[in-house]
Amino acid sequence: MKRILIGKRTPGGRLAARRTLQALLLAAMLIALSPFSAQGKVYIDITAPQAKMMPIAIYDFQGQGGKEISDVIRDDLIFTGLFMYIDKASYIEAASQPFNPSNWTPLGIEAVVKGTVSGDKKLTASVSLYDPFESKEILTKQYQSDKDLLRQLGHTIANDIYTALTGAPGIFRTRIVFVGERGGERDLYLMDWDGHRSRKLGLRAGVLLTPHWSADGSKLVYAAERGRQWNVYLLDFLQMSEKRVFTSRGVNMAGDFFPNGKAFAFSSSKDGTPDLYTFSLENNTARRLTSTHGIEVSPAVSPDGSRIAFVSDRGGTPQVYIMLSDGTEIRRLTFEGSYNTSPSWSPTGDRVVFASRRGGGKNQICIVKPDGSDLMQLTDQGNNEDPSFSPDGRYISFMSDRDRQKGIYLMRANGESQKRVTPRDLKAFGPRWSPQ
Amino acid sequence: MRRFCFFLVLIVFISFGCKQRAVTQPESQPPAQKEAGKGPETVTEKKGGAGESITSKEMDGKTEGKEGMFADVHFDFDKYDIKDADKPTLKNIASWMTKNGSAKLMVEGHCDERGTNEYNLALGDRRAKAVKDYLVSLAVPSAKIETISYGEEKPLCKEQTEECWAKNRRGHFVVLGKAGK
Repeated sequence: MKRILIGKRTPGGRLAARRTLQALLLAAMLIALSPFSAQGKVYIDITAPQAKMMPIAIYDFQGQGGKEISDVIRDDLIFTGLFMYIDKASYIEAASQPFNPSNWTPLGIEAVVKGTVSGDKKLTASVSLYDPFESKEILTKQYQSDKDLLRQLGHTIANDIYTALTGAPGIFRTRIVFVGERGGERDLYLMDWDGHRSRKLGLRAGVLLTPHWSADGSKLVYAAERGRQWNVYLLDFLQMSEKRVFTSRGVNMAGDFFPNGKAFAFSSSKDGTPDLYTFSLENNTARRLTSTHGIEVSPAVSPDGSRIAFVSDRGGTPQVYIMLSDGTEIRRLTFEGSYNTSPSWSPTGDRVVFASRRGGGKNQICIVKPDGSDLMQLTDQGNNEDPSFSPDGRYISFMSDRDRQKGIYLMRANGESQKRVTPRDLKAFGPRWSPQ
Repeated sequence: MRRFCFFLVLIVFISFGCKQRAVTQPESQPPAQKEAGKGPETVTEKKGGAGESITSKEMDGKTEGKEGMFADVHFDFDKYDIKDADKPTLKNIASWMTKNGSAKLMVEGHCDERGTNEYNLALGDRRAKAVKDYLVSLAVPSAKIETISYGEEKPLCKEQTEECWAKNRRGHFVVLGKAGK
């Protein structure tokens, strides 16, 4: 903006005029491109590598269930690592008093959340988000829900607060599917992303493998061993039904869906050794992508569907490779270590996360750019496997046995804030984060 | 020319005037994202989130067969080639299969827990098939031998020791059908 003002004062000579014009155009372009121009202020730039944590105050909402709702919001926002939660003990303002910026600016608190809940069976929640430094209400909104959907209500509000402050969608209503085993019985489990409301889906099998979501979240594809046979199944959440879509001799293991949900990649040893195939759900046919004498498993389809990352032992040890989705242009991605498996893509396709056997013979979660650069190890306790990204790419879910029993853990995509989200009495592995 | 440039500057300035005002005067930013007029957002459960469950039509089928007639064969870590030490066992199985023409054999491939699930299932598949291939080379008809991989999913020994892992890296035999009863 300064450029414009200076330019206006110094229009002397042709050269100066041209410079002024250039400066003006540059300034105009900057304004047009700026995230500030279109949708109000972005308080937290989540694309910054080390964003400053925003001090936020969150009141217990007044009314029935109010505290539970604000606890959900608080936990959601804290987990992002973008907020510094300020304890209620330091709030000067009573919840019932109107928002007054001067109660907050001396404490350096940059956002204040207040809310009320009314109703008995049907709840109505009113929420306000304030910016003390600009003395204004950033968000005010009403919500309705059944009384038994308190957590979902809290997550929905947390999503709106997150979006108002970052300009990006929140992931707080997403879920994680995984394989669980209790008392020798295996089943697929579905839970909220934070580990709450976990439950069995009712799909018993001898062995179940990591399920994979369709991009619209309406389907899962997974492999199961039933009666000494490996089959691939499709679970349809809209019809709440399971269908066997592929079977053959040998081992069949489902990989990712393609983005349109009409085909998936999988590994099958139906023609001898485990090779990669695509399966079309439109005409129920399998098409072969690779043919080697070795092992080829775990196909991970890139978010745009153009590439597939997979595991092959063609070089003597299991390593991650990337090829085009038609099976051509195969190149090796991992070179460090002798056992790199379980690849999965970030939602923008800018990273591949995988499990790598490191010092001490344990598997650790690593990420790397698809060109093989910027390899980073994210875990170092116990065995860590089955990594996959959250739909916004900011978090990674994985299996770890660091507390002896295998369980589902979450962490930020930089390895920070690792925590277990499944109970200790449940053996859990193969987590997959749902799309939005 | 100079005058022309002046005009141009002026025109450009005016045409971007609106944007400029929006930025230089932060107090005139758009108001809070009021959702007035829309009414409250209704929060509902996502599909598959509530108590609904899907009962698969195929439950884990009962598997029949006789185990323990033949000793397991073993493999080195991340390997699927048959060890010399196990060849007598396999020759013994081959001659039994030849004598019992109606018998069918299931070869299970297993792995230790150190690998990752899917790669281990593939490795178990290679192990079971390596055993099958060896038996076929000893004149057992291919059609008489089935293979399945269980990867690391059904360990024999559950401790985290090399001794235990060595036991788990195995080919296991189940005799199917009449001869197995």
